Amino acid sequence: MELLAAAIAVGLAALGAGIGVGLIASRTVEGISRQPELRGALQTTMFIGVALVEAVPIIAVVIAFMVM
Amino acid sequence: MTYYKIMVNRQRMWMLFLLAISVLGWGFTDYESIFAGLIFGQVVGFFNLYLLQKKINVVGEKAANNQAAKSLGALSRFAGAILLVVVVLRFPEYFHLIAAIVGLMTPYIVIMIDFIFHHKETTTTKRGE
Repeated sequence: MELLAAAIAVGLAALGAGIGVGLIASRTVEGISRQPELRGALQTTMFIGVALVEAVPIIAVVIAFMVM
Repeated sequence: MTYYKIMVNRQRMWMLFLLAISVLGWGFTDYESIFAGLIFGQVVGFFNLYLLQKKINVVGEKAANNQAAKSLGALSRFAGAILLVVVVLRFPEYFHLIAAIVGLMTPYIVIMIDFIFHHKETTTTKRGE
Protein backbone atom coordinates (compact mmCIF):
# COMPACT_ATOMS: atom_id res chain seq x y z
CA MET A 1 0.00 0.00 0.00
CA GLU A 2 2.89 2.32 0.75
CA LEU A 3 4.28 1.71 -2.71
CA LEU A 4 0.92 2.49 -4.26
CA ALA A 5 0.63 5.69 -2.23
CA ALA A 6 4.13 6.76 -3.23
CA ALA A 7 3.45 5.98 -6.88
CA ILE A 8 0.23 8.00 -6.89
CA ALA A 9 1.95 10.92 -5.13
CA VAL A 10 4.86 10.98 -7.56
CA GLY A 11 2.60 10.56 -10.56
CA LEU A 12 0.35 13.43 -9.58
CA ALA A 13 3.38 15.56 -8.72
CA ALA A 14 4.89 14.92 -12.14
CA LEU A 15 1.56 15.70 -13.79
CA GLY A 16 1.22 18.98 -11.94
CA ALA A 17 4.79 20.02 -12.62
CA GLY A 18 4.57 19.04 -16.25
CA ILE A 19 1.38 20.94 -16.96
CA GLY A 20 2.46 24.02 -14.98
CA VAL A 21 5.94 24.26 -16.41
CA GLY A 22 4.68 23.50 -19.90
CA LEU A 23 2.18 26.38 -19.80
CA ILE A 24 4.78 28.81 -18.44
CA ALA A 25 7.47 27.78 -20.90
CA SER A 26 5.18 27.91 -23.92
CA ARG A 27 4.00 31.45 -23.16
CA THR A 28 7.53 32.62 -22.43
CA VAL A 29 8.96 31.14 -25.62
CA GLU A 30 6.14 32.73 -27.59
CA GLY A 31 6.86 36.08 -25.96
CA ILE A 32 10.60 35.86 -26.58
CA SER A 33 10.09 34.89 -30.21
CA ARG A 34 7.79 37.89 -30.70
CA GLN A 35 10.06 40.35 -28.90
CA PRO A 36 13.63 39.07 -28.47
CA GLU A 37 14.67 42.34 -26.84
CA LEU A 38 12.48 41.49 -23.82
CA ARG A 39 14.32 38.22 -23.26
CA GLY A 40 15.77 39.30 -19.90
CA ALA A 41 12.48 40.26 -18.29
CA LEU A 42 10.64 37.26 -19.74
CA GLN A 43 13.33 34.83 -18.57
CA THR A 44 13.17 36.34 -15.11
CA THR A 45 9.40 35.92 -14.92
CA MET A 46 9.67 32.39 -16.31
CA PHE A 47 12.30 31.48 -13.75
CA ILE A 48 10.20 32.66 -10.83
CA GLY A 49 7.10 30.92 -12.21
CA VAL A 50 8.86 27.61 -12.83
CA ALA A 51 10.51 27.67 -9.40
CA LEU A 52 7.20 28.27 -7.61
CA VAL A 53 5.35 25.66 -9.71
CA GLU A 54 8.02 23.03 -9.10
CA ALA A 55 8.36 23.59 -5.35
CA VAL A 56 5.18 21.74 -4.41
CA PRO A 57 5.80 18.71 -6.68
CA ILE A 58 9.28 18.39 -5.18
CA ILE A 59 7.75 18.33 -1.71
CA ALA A 60 5.28 15.69 -2.95
CA VAL A 61 8.18 13.57 -4.25
CA VAL A 62 9.97 13.91 -0.91
CA ILE A 63 6.85 12.86 0.99
CA ALA A 64 6.34 9.93 -1.39
CA PHE A 65 9.79 8.60 -0.62
CA MET A 66 9.28 9.15 3.10
CA VAL A 67 6.08 7.10 2.91
CA MET A 68 7.97 4.33 1.13
CA MET B 1 24.93 42.32 -17.74
CA THR B 2 21.28 41.46 -18.34
CA TYR B 3 18.71 41.66 -15.59
CA TYR B 4 18.40 37.86 -15.56
CA LYS B 5 22.12 37.41 -14.85
CA ILE B 6 22.01 40.06 -12.13
CA MET B 7 19.10 38.20 -10.50
CA VAL B 8 20.89 34.84 -10.83
CA ASN B 9 24.05 36.19 -9.18
CA ARG B 10 22.05 37.77 -6.38
CA GLN B 11 20.19 34.53 -5.62
CA ARG B 12 23.41 32.50 -5.65
CA MET B 13 25.00 35.04 -3.30
CA TRP B 14 22.14 34.75 -0.81
CA MET B 15 22.18 30.95 -1.00
CA LEU B 16 25.90 30.94 -0.22
CA PHE B 17 25.32 33.31 2.72
CA LEU B 18 22.67 30.99 4.13
CA LEU B 19 24.91 27.98 3.56
CA ALA B 20 27.72 29.73 5.43
CA ILE B 21 25.39 30.51 8.35
CA SER B 22 24.33 26.84 8.46
CA VAL B 23 27.97 25.73 8.51
CA LEU B 24 28.68 28.12 11.36
CA GLY B 25 25.67 26.73 13.20
CA TRP B 26 26.95 23.20 12.66
CA GLY B 27 30.38 24.12 13.95
CA PHE B 28 29.50 26.26 16.95
CA THR B 29 26.24 24.85 18.33
CA ASP B 30 25.17 21.57 19.89
CA TYR B 31 22.48 20.93 17.24
CA GLU B 32 24.81 19.20 14.81
CA SER B 33 22.31 16.84 13.22
CA ILE B 34 19.86 19.66 12.56
CA PHE B 35 22.47 21.88 10.92
CA ALA B 36 23.95 18.93 9.06
CA GLY B 37 20.52 18.20 7.61
CA LEU B 38 20.10 21.88 6.78
CA ILE B 39 23.50 21.99 5.04
CA PHE B 40 22.79 18.85 3.03
CA GLY B 41 19.35 20.14 2.02
CA GLN B 42 20.74 23.54 1.06
CA VAL B 43 23.53 21.97 -1.02
CA VAL B 44 21.03 19.88 -2.96
CA GLY B 45 18.69 22.88 -3.20
CA PHE B 46 21.54 25.07 -4.46
CA PHE B 47 22.37 22.47 -7.09
CA ASN B 48 18.70 22.43 -8.14
CA LEU B 49 18.73 26.24 -8.32
CA TYR B 50 21.87 26.20 -10.47
CA LEU B 51 20.35 23.61 -12.85
CA LEU B 52 17.10 25.57 -13.17
CA GLN B 53 18.90 28.86 -13.83
CA LYS B 54 21.13 27.27 -16.45
CA LYS B 55 18.24 25.52 -18.21
CA ILE B 56 16.10 28.66 -18.36
CA ASN B 57 19.04 30.59 -19.80
CA VAL B 58 19.41 27.94 -22.51
CA VAL B 59 15.66 28.01 -23.26
CA GLY B 60 15.74 31.79 -23.54
CA GLU B 61 18.74 31.74 -25.89
CA LYS B 62 17.19 29.10 -28.11
CA ALA B 63 13.87 30.96 -28.22
CA ALA B 64 15.65 34.19 -29.19
CA ASN B 65 17.39 32.31 -32.05
CA ASN B 66 14.14 30.57 -33.13
CA GLN B 67 15.43 27.16 -32.13
CA ALA B 68 13.73 24.46 -30.08
CA ALA B 69 14.87 23.68 -26.54
CA LYS B 70 14.72 20.06 -25.49
CA SER B 71 13.50 20.24 -21.90
CA LEU B 72 13.75 22.11 -18.63
CA GLY B 73 15.44 19.20 -16.83
CA ALA B 74 12.85 18.68 -14.09
CA LEU B 75 13.87 15.03 -13.76
CA SER B 76 17.36 16.03 -12.56
CA ARG B 77 15.91 18.29 -9.90
CA PHE B 78 13.47 15.62 -8.70
CA ALA B 79 16.33 13.10 -8.63
CA GLY B 80 18.31 15.43 -6.38
CA ALA B 81 15.40 15.65 -3.96
CA ILE B 82 15.02 11.85 -3.98
CA LEU B 83 18.75 11.39 -3.34
CA LEU B 84 18.50 13.76 -0.37
CA VAL B 85 15.60 11.86 1.17
CA VAL B 86 17.19 8.45 0.59
CA VAL B 87 20.49 9.48 2.23
CA VAL B 88 18.80 11.25 5.16
CA LEU B 89 16.54 8.27 5.83
CA ARG B 90 19.55 5.96 5.62
CA PHE B 91 21.56 8.01 8.16
CA PRO B 92 19.03 9.49 10.59
CA GLU B 93 21.60 9.80 13.37
CA TYR B 94 23.65 12.29 11.28
CA PHE B 95 20.95 14.23 9.40
CA HIS B 96 17.67 15.61 10.70
CA LEU B 97 14.92 14.93 8.16
CA ILE B 98 12.79 18.05 8.63
CA ALA B 99 15.90 20.27 8.59
CA ALA B 100 16.98 18.63 5.33
CA ILE B 101 13.60 19.32 3.76
CA VAL B 102 13.70 22.93 4.97
CA GLY B 103 17.18 23.22 3.43
CA LEU B 104 15.87 21.81 0.16
CA MET B 105 13.14 24.47 0.11
CA THR B 106 15.54 27.33 1.01
CA PRO B 107 16.26 28.33 -2.62
CA TYR B 108 12.55 28.72 -3.29
CA ILE B 109 12.20 30.97 -0.24
CA VAL B 110 15.20 32.98 -1.50
CA ILE B 111 13.57 33.27 -4.94
CA MET B 112 10.29 34.49 -3.45
CA ILE B 113 11.92 37.04 -1.14
CA ASP B 114 14.16 38.24 -3.97
CA PHE B 115 11.09 38.67 -6.17
CA ILE B 116 9.28 40.64 -3.44
CA PHE B 117 12.17 43.08 -3.08
CA HIS B 118 13.28 43.38 -6.70
CA HIS B 119 10.29 42.75 -8.97
CA LYS B 120 9.77 46.43 -9.69
CA GLU B 121 13.09 46.50 -11.54
CA THR B 122 11.57 44.41 -14.36
CA THR B 123 8.57 46.65 -14.95
CA THR B 124 9.08 49.50 -17.36
CA THR B 125 5.63 51.04 -17.60
CA LYS B 126 3.80 53.13 -15.07
CA ARG B 127 0.08 53.11 -14.36
CA GLY B 128 -1.99 54.74 -17.05
CA GLU B 129 0.58 54.28 -19.79
